Amino acid sequence: MNNNMIKITDLEKYYRTEEVETIALNKLSIEVKEGEFVAVMGPSGCGKSTLLNILGLLDDADGGSFVFNGIEVAGYNERKRADLRKRNIGFVFQSFNLIDELTVFENVELPLIYNNVKAADRKKRVEEVLDNLKIMHRRNHYPQQLSGGQQQRVAVARAVVNSPKLILADEPTGNLDSSNGNEVMQLLTELNEKGTTIVMVTHSEHDARYSHRIIRMLDGHSVTENILI
Amino acid sequence: MLINYFKIAFRNLWRNRQFTFINVGGLALGIAVFLFIIQYVAFEWNANRFNKNYNTLCRVNVLTKQGVAEYYLPPGFAQPVKQQIPAIENAVRLADRIGGGVLSYKGQSESENKTFREDNISYAEGNFLSVFSFPVLSGTPSLAEPKTLALSETISRKIFGTADAAGKTLMVSNQFGNTLYTVKAVYHLPETSDINPEVILSLHTLENAANRDGNDWADPNGTDAALTNIYLQLKKDANISNTGKAITNFLHSVNPASKDETIILQPFSQLHLAPSFDYPLQTYGSLLLVTLFSAVAVLILLIAWVNYINLSTAQALNRAREVGVRKVLGAARTQLVVQYLTETLLLTLSASAFAVLLVYIFQNLFNDFTGKQLSMHILNVGWFWAIGIILIAVGSFLSGSYVAFVLTAFNPISTIRGKLQTSLRGIALRKGLVVFQFTISIVFIIATVILYRQLKFMQSENLGMKLDELLVIQGPTVSSEDQAAKNVSFKNSLTQLPFVKKQAASNNVPGIGYNFSANGITKLNNPLKGDDKKSYSMFICDQNFFDTYGIQLLQGRGFTADEAERSWNNIHSVIVNEKAAKELGFNPKENIIGQKIKWGADFEIVGVVKDYHHLSLRETIQPTIYLSSVSYSFFTVQTETKDMQSKLGTIRKLYNSAFPGNPFEYFFANEKYNQQYVSEQKLGSVFIAAASVAILIACMGLFGLVAFSARQRIKEIGIRKVLGASVFSITQLLSKDFLKLVAVAFVIASPVAWYAMNKWLQDFAYRISISWWVFALAGIAALFIALLTVSFQAIKSAVANPVKSLQTE
Repeated sequence: MNNNMIKITDLEKYYRTEEVETIALNKLSIEVKEGEFVAVMGPSGCGKSTLLNILGLLDDADGGSFVFNGIEVAGYNERKRADLRKRNIGFVFQSFNLIDELTVFENVELPLIYNNVKAADRKKRVEEVLDNLKIMHRRNHYPQQLSGGQQQRVAVARAVVNSPKLILADEPTGNLDSSNGNEVMQLLTELNEKGTTIVMVTHSEHDARYSHRIIRMLDGHSVTENILI
Repeated sequence: MLINYFKIAFRNLWRNRQFTFINVGGLALGIAVFLFIIQYVAFEWNANRFNKNYNTLCRVNVLTKQGVAEYYLPPGFAQPVKQQIPAIENAVRLADRIGGGVLSYKGQSESENKTFREDNISYAEGNFLSVFSFPVLSGTPSLAEPKTLALSETISRKIFGTADAAGKTLMVSNQFGNTLYTVKAVYHLPETSDINPEVILSLHTLENAANRDGNDWADPNGTDAALTNIYLQLKKDANISNTGKAITNFLHSVNPASKDETIILQPFSQLHLAPSFDYPLQTYGSLLLVTLFSAVAVLILLIAWVNYINLSTAQALNRAREVGVRKVLGAARTQLVVQYLTETLLLTLSASAFAVLLVYIFQNLFNDFTGKQLSMHILNVGWFWAIGIILIAVGSFLSGSYVAFVLTAFNPISTIRGKLQTSLRGIALRKGLVVFQFTISIVFIIATVILYRQLKFMQSENLGMKLDELLVIQGPTVSSEDQAAKNVSFKNSLTQLPFVKKQAASNNVPGIGYNFSANGITKLNNPLKGDDKKSYSMFICDQNFFDTYGIQLLQGRGFTADEAERSWNNIHSVIVNEKAAKELGFNPKENIIGQKIKWGADFEIVGVVKDYHHLSLRETIQPTIYLSSVSYSFFTVQTETKDMQSKLGTIRKLYNSAFPGNPFEYFFANEKYNQQYVSEQKLGSVFIAAASVAILIACMGLFGLVAFSARQRIKEIGIRKVLGASVFSITQLLSKDFLKLVAVAFVIASPVAWYAMNKWLQDFAYRISISWWVFALAGIAALFIALLTVSFQAIKSAVANPVKSLQTE
């Protein structure tokens, strides 16, 4: 059907300290198609977060191939990765990671600033997104003044404001109660239905059920894939 | 984008306002101190530069065979030299301050009359004002005619108010008698001028013997008495050292006795500050002091900057997550670097502005302290501002660079997670800086304590005389025919006053000086060879002096009333102190009363007094010979200090009727004596200020470092607390390392301070020995201050809820 958005082959990643070498990713191969919603699951230390960091172009692999959108990006330097990242990828974190000193509006605006969007356009797009996510009334509040669910909403807004092709979510409901968590999962589903590819790391079987496909990992490689739809 | 940077910078600084305040405040303080010292240095640097002839003027020095340079020279050579050497454009003789006395003005009415003492009166060549380019405010600059004078703006205003002084006549009463002068000019005395007479009398006045009142040594054509400084203005193309050689050759040819002496012309540019530390000629300013102060200025600025960098860096760790988030959202590294540099620039600029504000607020206080009219205007030169801008730029860059370059280089994932590895080297560097700062602080503390101990020693040491309750009245300057008789009658009238316990008259007083020094004095019988080269201080006093000043007589008697009323040529008896007796070759243990000494005529020793500290303890006690004569300049009375106002009123009445035309002036002997220690007291204040600033800044640095470390170890602290560590043990854990740094600083500082202060104490003939407890005290003080600083942060971290710190993982 669709093209591969992500194709990784034999990906390797080691963490070295003076005494031990830990293998985080062990010849992992995965594909994610455009428009897919994929959940990555596995026990702590299985390499989920490492995978997400590499997919998010935040970290470098030690071996193997990573083709993003048809381009081989393994071996890209920091600057090239940053450039690719800011145009294509949005992030949602477990701990929201909003900047405390900026208002809701300013937090959401930040990716647009780094993408050199003009001020008038920025205002329009931020308001649009805030409106869509129903947090317009909170636009001038600071993160600490919001509930956890609202903060994660802002984080999602910030992730999508730039219309990224791919959203990477790292335990997006981990710090939320179940009703707020469901709302956030609903949001991600809606975004996916509008065409955004989503890769989500989660511990929650419940959340994973929102996805199309679950990749289960153990000791740095993929063990099974469950296709849900 | 820029607005976004400023916005977040401002909010960040506001959120941590306590920290911001300490950080900006510390830097501002450092910059303010730097600015003050630089004002002083710039002032010294600018000395005499106002002079239009700055580049062609020089001062004549005579260098003796022994290498001693002398610039007080006989005035008679100036004109012949000028006529002989074509390279000289102008020669200016200046008899500095020898004209001090009383100025009196008789106006149209009684209320316009003015009489006051002015010590800063000099005699100068007719062309003085124009060659030294003092701006003339009214009148004409030439003092070529005898009995003409020029007044500084200050004096003119004091006498004439806003009226024009030119053409008015003034009576000047000084050692050359009472002479009527016509005011030729009023001049502005530039602040930065080393040569700064308030009143300039025409030197040509003294050419007439009638205007010298018998003081023929002051003849402007004389070639014996070295009473003038001689300044030469050279022609534009003249070579200064060749001109000096030409003058030397000329003098050798006219005066073969001067063959061992060389003339050295001292360029005007080297009049204030020497070009090198081993400069043989006298200067008005001190290169050493200027260098020392410049070094202190740079040092303080340096530690302030270092601190600022330290604190900013510590604070920066709180920003790690923000940096990470921004990177994830697509910020390029350069964008982040620019953002953080903008932020520090903002901070540095506000610190600079704050510093300038501090300078404006405390300028007057500082000026009172230095006794100079300093201001920021002194810095109105291009290079200062250029350096200032470069400093601010470089400083901002350095302090912002840790965040800007180090933090932004980290993997964003680890910064978001708060997992930061800082290099061990960075920590070592910061520790080194704290050691450096505390070393300087401890040196200052030790120096301050030693200085004050020496000062206290000098003020409390038994002087060998008693200065309490002694009121000293300045004798008359405006003299009359029967001055001696009037002196005696005034003295006697003082005795009559009921509140006067004792009284004495003398020609000078302890704490101010002796009368003169003389050599060629020997035992009458069998003097040793070379004894006539020994120098003695001579002091003139009456029969009551030793008793009134509580000076102990060891042998013989004091002067008699008869001896004390004789004129200068009729003295036959002297009193000596122990030192003088020894110098003369007597055994002071034996009775030497009745022994004779020879000083031109013969004198009989009638008494020996115990050595006492006539001058400050900086000086050794001089061998002193006391002479009796009726020429008195000071009258001392001993009286209880209560009701001083009414007592002064009574004495003033007696004085005015005894010495009409003279201003009544008095002082207290102990206050005058203590004024000798003004420079030590000032130095003490400088040290206290420097020590305070250094400690304050050092503590800020320490504070930052502890905050930094506590943050680094937040998880460790949390785990230890969960495992049951007490607040005390955690405080200890965090404090221990830093107190070690202070201990290291102490070990470095002690020998440095010991060496420096030992050197300083060498200037004092009588001095304290440096005791070990001073070091212990300084060490404990530094440790205590450090402990306060450290424990504040440490306790704060220790009492924090461990659940919070562990949750952040």
